[in-house]
Amino acid sequence: MTKKTAFWIFLIGTLSSAALFLGATYDTHRQVGALANVDKLSDQVVAGKRTFEKYNCNDCHTILGFGAYYAPDLTRVVQRVGEEGIRYRLKSPELAFANSPRKMPNQHLSDGEITDLVAFFRWVGEINNNDWPPQDSKKRLSRGEQMMVAKVGVSPGAAVFQTKGCMNCHSLKGTGGTFGPALDKIGAGMSAEEIEKYVKNPKSVDPNSKMPSQKDNLSGRELDEVAKFLAGLK
Amino acid sequence: MEYRSQKIAYWYFAAALPLFVLQVVVGLWLAANYTFTIPQSIVNVFPFATARAFHTNLLVLWMLLGFMGGTYYIIPEETKSEIYSTGLAWFQLIALLVTGVAALVGFLFGWTQGRPLLEIPMALDFVVVIGALVFLFNVGMTMFKAKNWTAIQGTLLGGLVFLALLYLFGIPFYRNLVIDWYYWWWVIHLWVEGAWELVTASIFAFVLMKITGVDREVVEKWLYVEIGLFLFTGLAGTGHHYYWIGAPRYWLWVGGIFSALEPLPILLMVIDTMHHVKERKAKIVNPLTWTYAIGCAVMHLIGAGVWGFLHTLPQINYYTHGSQVTVSHGHLAFFGAYALLNLMTFYYAMPKLQGIAAYDDRRGRIGFWTMCSAMMIMGLTFGVAGVLQSYIERVLGMGYMVAQGYMRLWMGVTMVMGVFFLAGLLTTVVDLFTLRPAKVKA
Repeated sequence: MTKKTAFWIFLIGTLSSAALFLGATYDTHRQVGALANVDKLSDQVVAGKRTFEKYNCNDCHTILGFGAYYAPDLTRVVQRVGEEGIRYRLKSPELAFANSPRKMPNQHLSDGEITDLVAFFRWVGEINNNDWPPQDSKKRLSRGEQMMVAKVGVSPGAAVFQTKGCMNCHSLKGTGGTFGPALDKIGAGMSAEEIEKYVKNPKSVDPNSKMPSQKDNLSGRELDEVAKFLAGLK
Repeated sequence: MEYRSQKIAYWYFAAALPLFVLQVVVGLWLAANYTFTIPQSIVNVFPFATARAFHTNLLVLWMLLGFMGGTYYIIPEETKSEIYSTGLAWFQLIALLVTGVAALVGFLFGWTQGRPLLEIPMALDFVVVIGALVFLFNVGMTMFKAKNWTAIQGTLLGGLVFLALLYLFGIPFYRNLVIDWYYWWWVIHLWVEGAWELVTASIFAFVLMKITGVDREVVEKWLYVEIGLFLFTGLAGTGHHYYWIGAPRYWLWVGGIFSALEPLPILLMVIDTMHHVKERKAKIVNPLTWTYAIGCAVMHLIGAGVWGFLHTLPQINYYTHGSQVTVSHGHLAFFGAYALLNLMTFYYAMPKLQGIAAYDDRRGRIGFWTMCSAMMIMGLTFGVAGVLQSYIERVLGMGYMVAQGYMRLWMGVTMVMGVFFLAGLLTTVVDLFTLRPAKVKA
């Protein structure tokens, strides 16, 4: 091979790849309106994005998987912890994370900023992004549950409890989140029906509850199984 | 040193090294955040986010200073002429350092653009742009006046122009987060896997040619094939960042295929290096430079090539995206490809700039092996943490902090390795500043 041939390899390789890349970039711009619901990209959502950047949230949290890896991904945070849950964490992180090994700084956000942030997270959560992250995907989670039932030998209710995000807030035997109460003895005070009603719509039982409703998160069968499982903990 | 103006390179290297040390010190603090529970009062004043902005911005700053110093060292020898203006080179060094320090101090007070790796506020962005333009003008003018074109300097100039142009895409505010990330990667990925690779390949080719005495024709031929492959795979390979951001589905194919090819040019670089060892014509005067060259090629292949390849297939990336697996890849790749490249350049140029023909390399060797071993283990411990995280959080669907609990031990080991790395780095830095001539062997 001569130096001239080598130069042509360089030129053709680079130009072909650049052409493909720029062509796909053009097409991405064409499609992004539908994929990211640009019609719902209101000024409030943009204000939320500015707030998100102002407080440098992205250097601890990831969003759509990018950023630092120190704190949870926020892509589907509204679906996971609910709008109330976000407000509580932003307003008083020292209370919300009191028992957590990892802390979040109190940024002293105004109520307006918090509202904007929630709007931003709600919009991000609805982006059509090939069903990522897997733990928030309905399709994938049922597979995780099946695996647990089959391999680890836990009851279906326990599998639902472990895979549907309950442990983000509640703990069992010392493992899990610290936002909500530990549930080791929940069955001693509540029946399966009461638990099911509470999980479906916490505010209907206790107006001050911070727990997001799980009506859309869990199927009827899952609700039934997890309530049975929890009622058995005495 | 053949030209008087090459001396400016020394000050770029001298500015870059303390910044590297600071980067590693902040890195240790970050690891401590993972390993221990930091009290709320400290978190409120100096949160992880600020420390992380320090860690990554220092990385970019010291590496760019290293590249620029390397360029100022190489250009006179390639063009066979003095640098167009050493005054401009000084101005630009000071401008960049002042901007860097202003940015770091600003982060402490919450002055930030808030996008990871691109936290520098817009006002400072413009100073960076001016600094880059001055640099390109100075380097370009030196080349145009000398009228002596080589493939090495052409690649170098091309890489530097590409690098400066891409930075512009990171400056505006984008309303749409999807578009924001789309162009964010034009800076980050196309820098690291495009422009920086061009700069690296040309500096690497220059040093190899000088220390082995292999013909320019041979070196430059390989250079064309390597950078051709780097750009062929790297440009469309940007697609592996577009899988889950809300871009069209075909990026899964484009990203998957082109990223799978990304290790090829790096493999070629290793083969090329080995080939030069065999064909070398000159006696290797300072074998430590040589060790660095091979270390750079091998760690580049492991960190950027193999580790990158392992998790860019969409089916795997679905689970590993945004986990500590990425961090493992990032550390090994940056260290292997760019930190070792810069240190190799320093070890090649510093003795010449200080008028030492052959230096005593015992301390330098200890530094090299300590850093490489510590970083390799860190890559593995980050990797273990990342696999645990992917499995517990993404496959089993358990909570974020549940997974973090199991990872804590491994982040602790990483921190211990970081201490070893810092020791190796300090040895290296002290050695570079106080090189002594080698004792003549009896």
